[in-house]
Amino acid sequence: MVKIGNHLFVTIVFFYYIINVVILMSKEEKLQILADSAKYDASCSSSGSHRKNNNGIGNASNCGICHSFASDGRCISLLKILLTNCCIFDCKYCLNRKSNNIKRAIFAPEEICEITINFYKRNYIEGLFLSSGIIKSPDYTMEKIIETITLLRKKYHFNGYIHAKAIPGCSDYLLKKLGLLVDRLSVNIELPSKSSLKLLAPNKDSDKISHIMENVKNNQSSNFVPAGQSTQIIIGASNDNDYEIMKRSEGLYNNYRLKRVFYSAYISINKDKNLPSLISPPLKREHRLYQADFLLRYYHYHVDDLLSKENPSFNVLLDPKANYAINHLNEFPKEVNKVSYNDLLKIPGIGPKSAQRIIKSRKFYTLTMEDLKKMGVVLKRAKYFILCNGKYFLSQEYFQKKFILDNLVLEDKSASDTSSKQLQLSL
Amino acid sequence: MKYIYLYDGTFNNLLNTIEILLKEKKRPENILSNINYQDNLFNKCVTITNSNTNKYRIGVYRYSKKIYNIIYAVFLSCEKNKELIIYYFLLNAFKHGEKIIYLTNLNCVSKSIKIARYVHHEAHKMKGFIRFQELKNKSFFAIIEPTNNILPLIIHHFEQRLPNENWFIYDKKRDLINIYYNHHSYLVNFHIKNNSLLYSEDEKEYEKLWQTFFKTIGIEKRKNYQCQRNFMPKKYWNNLIEMRDEK
Repeated sequence: MVKIGNHLFVTIVFFYYIINVVILMSKEEKLQILADSAKYDASCSSSGSHRKNNNGIGNASNCGICHSFASDGRCISLLKILLTNCCIFDCKYCLNRKSNNIKRAIFAPEEICEITINFYKRNYIEGLFLSSGIIKSPDYTMEKIIETITLLRKKYHFNGYIHAKAIPGCSDYLLKKLGLLVDRLSVNIELPSKSSLKLLAPNKDSDKISHIMENVKNNQSSNFVPAGQSTQIIIGASNDNDYEIMKRSEGLYNNYRLKRVFYSAYISINKDKNLPSLISPPLKREHRLYQADFLLRYYHYHVDDLLSKENPSFNVLLDPKANYAINHLNEFPKEVNKVSYNDLLKIPGIGPKSAQRIIKSRKFYTLTMEDLKKMGVVLKRAKYFILCNGKYFLSQEYFQKKFILDNLVLEDKSASDTSSKQLQLSL
Repeated sequence: MKYIYLYDGTFNNLLNTIEILLKEKKRPENILSNINYQDNLFNKCVTITNSNTNKYRIGVYRYSKKIYNIIYAVFLSCEKNKELIIYYFLLNAFKHGEKIIYLTNLNCVSKSIKIARYVHHEAHKMKGFIRFQELKNKSFFAIIEPTNNILPLIIHHFEQRLPNENWFIYDKKRDLINIYYNHHSYLVNFHIKNNSLLYSEDEKEYEKLWQTFFKTIGIEKRKNYQCQRNFMPKKYWNNLIEMRDEK
């Protein structure tokens, strides 16, 4: 009798839930809940894919396009939503963990398609970013994601950008199927070390995550995940230091050929004895990690150039590149008319674009400080580290560690409020 | 004696004027569009050609695509003396060939490149910031008010993206409209009254959904309005569905 009553109760609860979630909830309410649950994922890039329009709607833009900027200054280029925020996992840091008492919702595949297509036609978005909480099992969740995206690609003939999350633990053939439909796949490692993963995300298994990365790496082609894979690491939820995080990123870039590692400053949503209680997210630290990440990918730096076991954290006052230059002052000042491309890249304030311009122009004439300004090279930081035709911008005796350091910090401080999120542009 | 030369405001006519000036080795005081030009006693102004053929334009294009792209972008910019900059840029371009774009110590070159970069940058931003609204007849209509005349630079992007829809992009500042109808584009001068448009029934719903999404996606604890404005300047807010109420 107890058993039957229990069964009945479960059934009633189940139907109540279905009626509430699937039928009564308006599209707008669902969108609100499922976007709210998805917003902590940092990735919103739409670049790297050459997908062409196949007499349907949409195409991908290789350089990526930002369609709007949210109140936090982050770019919005994709409709970033979860299929559902119901989840059988209980990751300590996550808003959607099963032990949280929050409103849950599920999108029907048709609903997602309709919203995506209508947003896309109005040019609100560049495509879809579909993630999901884990319902029933990884395979079941993957099947739901695949069903949605197949509908979008085949029935609605959508050729825009799609970024999907792979669910760790899913079967290989489902991953293959999903990879053929999307432009980018990502699977979040969330925490840089195995020990913190065990502590904060007991249901996650780092081997399953690396299995997916390995699989995507081996199959990647112009049909399969053309825009490559990415991942995300949460900053400040565990005790891992900058050195460990950057080492992990470097490993990911080298071993799995990841396109991007995103860093997400931890925002305390849940209370837990294993979680730090932060008043504000560590944005400055996140910013430094992004800067260092760019140094790895575009400037040929290694983590060991920037940090070491003895000195495992970034300088809060100086960006990693300027910090490196200050500590290797014997390599400077560099003569912009002579040094190689790679040496130009080592100069704080000079990036790949400026370096290219310098290389091309100096073939035809000798550059002065004025010429650099004219071609659009930003000299704010660079001027302390360069010689133009043998000339320093001040008298040579000012070329001293203390003088440069003081000025750099001063300039950084005055600009830090406005420039702190400039990186977003190249996401 | 230096003259002010007038042209009819089109790119073809400007280039034809410059061609004659270069051939006859005449240095202009200025080159101005006769649309903006107001007569004045002290200036001597001349129109030297009314020709609108694209022969010379194609000539420049064949000479170098890179040079052509730069002067075209400068032509579309809001720069005051753009015609004179184009004249000097072309004068030097024919002297030095394609390497001109690296001779950034020449003022006309660094200026042209800077302006061209600015124009292309705005065009790229506009590809994201355009907001179409669905009309009753299921076509899509967007209003833009860009600083530079970037409409011609973004048409191709939308032709590729929405080939099977009918859509319009209307530059309110310049009364210029691109009509994409039945797989063909027509760029024409036309004035449209704002309240003469009839929107479809779904339009309100999706605008509402977008506003909800936009509000939700920003993380409260990370809010940074300064940064938001840096990337999305207020001058565009009028036509951004998610921002127009903020203003």
